[in-house]
Amino acid sequence: MAKTILIVDDSESIREVVSFTLENAGYNVIIAIDGTDALPHFDGKVIDLLLTDLHMPNMNGIELIREVRKIEAYGRIPILFLTTESQRDKKIEAKDAGATGWIIKPFVPAKLLAAINKVMR
Amino acid sequence: MDNFQKKFVEEATDLINNLEEAVLALEKDISNNELIGEVFRIMHSLKGGGGMFGFDDISNFTHNLETIYDEVRTGGLKITDDLMSITFSSVDHLRSLLDPDALKDPQINKNNEILLSSVEAILKGSGTEIPIAEAEEELDQDGDKQTIYIYFAPNESIMDNGTNPLYLIDELCTLGETKVFPRTAKVPLLSRFNYSKCYTAWEVFLVSSENINDIHDVFIFVEDDSELEITKVADFDVLANEGFNEKIQSLYSEKNHFDSAVITSLVNDLLEEKKSRMVNVNEKLKIFTKENVISSIRVSSDKIDHLMNLVSELVTTQASLSLYVEENQVYALNQLSENIENITRQLRDTAFSISLIPIESMLTRFHRLIRDLSSEFNKNIDFITEGAETELDKTLIQGLTDPLMHIIRNSVDHGIEPEQERIDAGKTPQGMIYFKAFYSGASVVIKIQDDGRGIDINKVRQKAIEKELILPDAKYTNKEILDLIFIPGFSTAKNITDISGRGVGMDVVKRKVDEIRGTVDLESKENIGTTITIKLPLTLSIIDGLLVVIGDTKYVMPLNLVDKIYAYEKEQFSNAFNNIIVVDGEQIPFYYLRKEFDIPGEPLDIEQLVLVKYEEKRIGLVVDSVVGEYQAVLKPLGKLYKNHEIISGATILGDGTIALVLDTNKIINEFSFKN
Repeated sequence: MAKTILIVDDSESIREVVSFTLENAGYNVIIAIDGTDALPHFDGKVIDLLLTDLHMPNMNGIELIREVRKIEAYGRIPILFLTTESQRDKKIEAKDAGATGWIIKPFVPAKLLAAINKVMR
Repeated sequence: MDNFQKKFVEEATDLINNLEEAVLALEKDISNNELIGEVFRIMHSLKGGGGMFGFDDISNFTHNLETIYDEVRTGGLKITDDLMSITFSSVDHLRSLLDPDALKDPQINKNNEILLSSVEAILKGSGTEIPIAEAEEELDQDGDKQTIYIYFAPNESIMDNGTNPLYLIDELCTLGETKVFPRTAKVPLLSRFNYSKCYTAWEVFLVSSENINDIHDVFIFVEDDSELEITKVADFDVLANEGFNEKIQSLYSEKNHFDSAVITSLVNDLLEEKKSRMVNVNEKLKIFTKENVISSIRVSSDKIDHLMNLVSELVTTQASLSLYVEENQVYALNQLSENIENITRQLRDTAFSISLIPIESMLTRFHRLIRDLSSEFNKNIDFITEGAETELDKTLIQGLTDPLMHIIRNSVDHGIEPEQERIDAGKTPQGMIYFKAFYSGASVVIKIQDDGRGIDINKVRQKAIEKELILPDAKYTNKEILDLIFIPGFSTAKNITDISGRGVGMDVVKRKVDEIRGTVDLESKENIGTTITIKLPLTLSIIDGLLVVIGDTKYVMPLNLVDKIYAYEKEQFSNAFNNIIVVDGEQIPFYYLRKEFDIPGEPLDIEQLVLVKYEEKRIGLVVDSVVGEYQAVLKPLGKLYKNHEIISGATILGDGTIALVLDTNKIINEFSFKN
């Protein structure tokens, strides 16, 4: 069965290009525009991977990760976040919050898929 | 611009507008962290999106600006008037950068540089290191295989954040050949076992051309909270070595962790072994490449002879098979038999080409001969060769060497004049012998030409009369007189010299060339020189022939000489005047072979006229019927019949009977003489 990935990003263009890439790679994609929009999706349905931006209005990525880890059913799902080279310190913060790994922006589709492949099969 | 890019431009326009608002608000309230965060966030989005959608100018431009606001956010930098004004200019500049070709405009480009350097100045002033984007990409790319040892002991709670360490080991395996040794010593007793903890460590030997950084990247998410050791152990593939694998396997069961010193010594052993082997390999490689350049091998001529014999046998056997299939109408075998015939033909041609060697192989001897003779006779002779690459059957070359040596001796001895005589005759002091070989249809032609005094026709005639070869008052053309030279026992040399006094005359040359089914032709002009032309068949042992029947006997004619075949009623031959028949409006002389061969019996009502090529003409040979094409393996007739020049040999047909192979040139020669 196709794996389901939740994409959370406030940038519509990023959401589009990421979901386009992932859908072409055979994943189911759910979209949310920020943390508050994303959180209701964790209602018991199967989400195999969370892919979230860190800087978002309302609830940012790190808060979202913390919240997701609190829900037992999603305590161990892989979580990847989007970051930039200049944001190295954010990595530690996000990892402490419970993220599995990260994807450095800008990225090409192949890198995105490779990063996903590291944490989910 | 694709759809994604269009969307980004729309979105970026909004972002820049938002940025402008935020910066305006920030200017009034420079300590508002929320606004600072907002500015940073927008910069960050512009940078990320710009890089993803091909707006590298935007991405590059916002890179340092984003860093500045990050610093401001974390308190490392203070907002100054300077920074504010730069930020405002940047907002305007970012708008113009939404056009992908913006930097082609010199004004915008200049603006870009000024702003970039002022941003950089602010960063430098803050003492912040300027992050270099994508520095990782520029690391060296070592294409050669190396062996890397990896020790990976994840944190026990690694699986809590969604990491599956097995995926990482899997990923390592995709980078090259691996040998993975799981270490399970830390796995506790079942009573204390927590399924959500990771107790296993891994040791991996990876043979890969990836650089160490790429291997580090595999563990990028976990390296901070795992024990990770990645070391290069060798610059080559150690796993290819059986001995290493065995040793490492036994070490694995003995210890809980590979000792790095032990591995190093194992690798060093391998290195030594490899070095000594490399020398050998290099030597072999040298030989190998040398062979490749020559791309040929030496095979003893016995083997080739044997191969040729076998091919000949095969051709004969195959003919039997074809005949059997035809006579018994075995359709199932028909296709098979045709295939075998086709393959046999190719095999035959290939085998022939193997036995061909270039004429060059005998030219060295001629060079030497001419050099030696020149000094002996005190003549200055230049030997020029052409077509040395022309190939001939090796048996032909063997048969040719002696006659050619003799012809060249003659040229040096009798043809080329002494230096003074040449000068007196108005020639260059240096004489010339010109050797040329070339293909002509299915034959090879060899020409030996000298620029000597030529053959004195009168001397030849005199000598012939003396030797009672011709009558004194007989009328002969110059050509006919020249041909007398080929008659046994004829020699015109005034002095018996070293070379032409051995009783070997032109008659021997002719006989030798005849033996290999060739022809000799001689042309000579006084004071201009002599040219001897030898024409040879390409090969001796198997010929493509046309099988014909006269009476009870089958004959084979060389197919390459057959031009056309016509059927005529027998009366048209018997009534023909002077053995001339009109074919397609052309008068063709013909020989009625039944009569010429004295074959008894009545001719068929319809007979076949086979037109064969003879020199530049076409001559008809009349036979009873034509059977078809046939590959004839030539067998000599033996001593008793060797003087029958018109028959070049015999061949065994598929049904075991024998066909005579006709030499059409000789037939025409002989019969035209006779008539």
